[in-house]
Amino acid sequence: MNGSDFYNMVMASSQHLKANVEAVNSLNVFPVPDGDTGTNMNMTLTAGFQELSKKPSEHLGQAAAAFSKGLLMGARGNSGVILSQLFRGFAKAVSELEQADPQQVAAALQQGVDTAYKAVMRPVEGTILTVSREAAKQAVQIARRTQTIKDLMQAVVNTAKEALAKTPDLLPILKQVGVVDSGGQGLVFIYEGFLQACSEDQPVQGAATTPMSHVAGNVYAEWDDPEYVSDVRSSLGQAEAGVLTAPEPAQARIAAEDIEYPYDMEFFIDMSAYPEAALNFDEDEFRARLAKDGDSIIIIADDGMIKVHVHSRRPGDVLNAALEFGELRNMHIVNMRDQHREIVEGTTPAVPVYAETEPVRRKENGILAVAAGDGITEIFESLGVDYVVSGGQTMNPSTEDLVNAVKQIAADRVFILPNNSNIILSAQQVQELLDDQEVIVIPTKTIPQGMAAALAYNAHADKEQNVSNMEQAIGRVRSGQITYAVRDTNYEELTIREGDYLGILDNKIVVTTDELLETSKQLLTKMVVHGDEVVTVITGADSNEEMTDQLLAYAAEAYPDAEFEVVSGGQPVYYYIFSVE
Amino acid sequence: MSKIRIVTDSTADLPAEVYQQYGIEIVSLKVHFGDEVYEDKDMDPDFFYQKLVQSSKLPTTSQPSPVDFLEVYKRLNETPDTSIISIHLSSAMSGTYQSAMLAKSMLEEKADITIIDGKSASYGTGMLVKAAAIGAANGKTRDEIVDYVTKLRQETKLYFLVDTLEYLHKGGRIAKASAVFGSLLNIKPILGIDDEGEVYAVDRVRGQKRAMNRIVELLKQQYGDKEVSVNIAYADKKEICDELGELVKQSLNVKSYSNSRIGSVIGTHAGTGATGVFVSPVLDI
Repeated sequence: MNGSDFYNMVMASSQHLKANVEAVNSLNVFPVPDGDTGTNMNMTLTAGFQELSKKPSEHLGQAAAAFSKGLLMGARGNSGVILSQLFRGFAKAVSELEQADPQQVAAALQQGVDTAYKAVMRPVEGTILTVSREAAKQAVQIARRTQTIKDLMQAVVNTAKEALAKTPDLLPILKQVGVVDSGGQGLVFIYEGFLQACSEDQPVQGAATTPMSHVAGNVYAEWDDPEYVSDVRSSLGQAEAGVLTAPEPAQARIAAEDIEYPYDMEFFIDMSAYPEAALNFDEDEFRARLAKDGDSIIIIADDGMIKVHVHSRRPGDVLNAALEFGELRNMHIVNMRDQHREIVEGTTPAVPVYAETEPVRRKENGILAVAAGDGITEIFESLGVDYVVSGGQTMNPSTEDLVNAVKQIAADRVFILPNNSNIILSAQQVQELLDDQEVIVIPTKTIPQGMAAALAYNAHADKEQNVSNMEQAIGRVRSGQITYAVRDTNYEELTIREGDYLGILDNKIVVTTDELLETSKQLLTKMVVHGDEVVTVITGADSNEEMTDQLLAYAAEAYPDAEFEVVSGGQPVYYYIFSVE
Repeated sequence: MSKIRIVTDSTADLPAEVYQQYGIEIVSLKVHFGDEVYEDKDMDPDFFYQKLVQSSKLPTTSQPSPVDFLEVYKRLNETPDTSIISIHLSSAMSGTYQSAMLAKSMLEEKADITIIDGKSASYGTGMLVKAAAIGAANGKTRDEIVDYVTKLRQETKLYFLVDTLEYLHKGGRIAKASAVFGSLLNIKPILGIDDEGEVYAVDRVRGQKRAMNRIVELLKQQYGDKEVSVNIAYADKKEICDELGELVKQSLNVKSYSNSRIGSVIGTHAGTGATGVFVSPVLDI
């Protein structure tokens, strides 16, 4: 195998996986409309292929290095990160080789497996890790007797499929739901693509050829049963095989012109220049001035600097008002209508209207959070979070997205709040890609945990204090989420029908009914244990005011000693997010 | 046997009777509402907080000049064999301590003056002053008193709540905490004064009730079942003081409990709703 062979293999696997994204997504144990393994692995693989295409080489080592780099940067979701680690190890093993024989390829696969296991703090068997391990082990065993790469890959594919079929025996939840592991399935598709590239007489197929268990009920069916294939396709409402159609983003429902205050402004006022003016600065007055033509106003005072954030329709007025109190530094102005157009039309990101790259001054600590929803983003900013990365509709931010965000924060040490268990691994990869900043991941798995951690964060405290305070804060909050099921499934004692509403408590589905209000009430009941907690109800983009009022009326009556706060989060997918402390 | 005289500044926030009883000398700071100047020691707290709320512009405060201290030290020093112990507001928050030090260096006659940086504010200073005065009345030596006061300061914990961080921020006394305005959640900061005598952010919680509970939790962690003396100093809201007092009494082993007011100078910087709980272990003097 040399560099151009490798290129063909990656291309084939990329196409093959893309054609089967929904098949992989449908295996997700959690029947909720986000965090899909197929989508994440596909995006990761595509990023890898794109990087390889930029630097194609006959030299295997160089080609593999390019591929590995693309995977590392583009890694999304836990499965994406593990995939990137598998090929990171592979690339290291072949780095000096112009071409590799079957033994060398097998050894490289094994090194990939070793690297992936090292990267994951708590490796779970019955996942992509198991499949990759079994396949590599087999490859190494037979490599000496194998003449061609094609034969090696055939063995890899066969072993991988067998290991995949056994994953329900290793991971109880898989057996319960009646599926094989989605990450493992994704890897099988990738290996199949490799194999197909090795054998020119077999064209790349659009459909999977792997045995897979049926999703509803515990019947194991042959995946390439044509009837079944079309059933799955139609129930997911997808247009045609091979086309990844992302669900319509929530943003698409708003027209660009509806954005009343289009200029998203952020800047610092350095008051050290005019100390008398600083005394005259009245926060309420300033806010009122900005509010005439703007909203989403957040003002943070820290060490002689005032950080201002506002969405305004008259940016000049904002800047002029600010100038009365000091010098303006580190200004960022973005026209959100352009941003909106780019989200809806999928065009390349617009350059901000005005952005300075010189940081104001380096501080010791900074903090970054991942969030979806304008309201939630604002909450984090109002808690003093320096930068909020958009988690997107169903996509997770890639490692590169996180790296770029950390770089935007002028701090020696940056804490990351992933706020989703599927983003934690990507966040942990960020430190590898940064030289001059220390990155610490606080393992928040939900938005409420992120909010609690952000609240406990103190930019002026030392590292150990902050880590300890934030981790303790996570332990004091319970997270609830209300969404809908994308397919039928069984989960513990619950029978879930597609379209039913799900109440999720700390990442476990605990309630399901066919009514949104009823599900929400039941989940709240499970969460408010003592009766005097502080409950924050974060409303999503798809919730309606009337229902929220009804829910609160119920809650106020049921728990008269509890404190309820409603905040508009604007998040996609989750009608409500509950935080109970 | 030298006679010990205690000097402090008006921010010690002790009741007038205490100063009279022990013959404690006060050097006063000033509060400026525009052109109106008031002596901190003469200002009635209720009057002050009403004026604070009604004023469109924030008042400012000014420290005593070295001459103000010099007068007092000179006068006390006229009595032979006098040992002066001068205890003051945190040097990190005010130039008062510096003025006292300057005054001491300006004194031409030989004098025995010990100036102590209380590294605290309001009752935090007052508590040390009272202890020193009691010690002096009980015939303790200067060194015994200084040691005791130092120990007491180290063993005391203080946490306080405010209505808003705005006063601290505008007065510039909150370098070690960022003040966030426009928060979408009902967030209550819990503040403390650290070993350097500076205000710092201890924690942030959701809502007043939880803030009080958190303070009690922190105090419990610190003192457990030890016998403690508790004083709650409040600006203008006695309800907060009483509610917090109840919670503390329920949780800690409180041997003595008292209230005090936060005077105009500290009040200018802490603002309305300021309520601080001072806890010290019961120590013998």
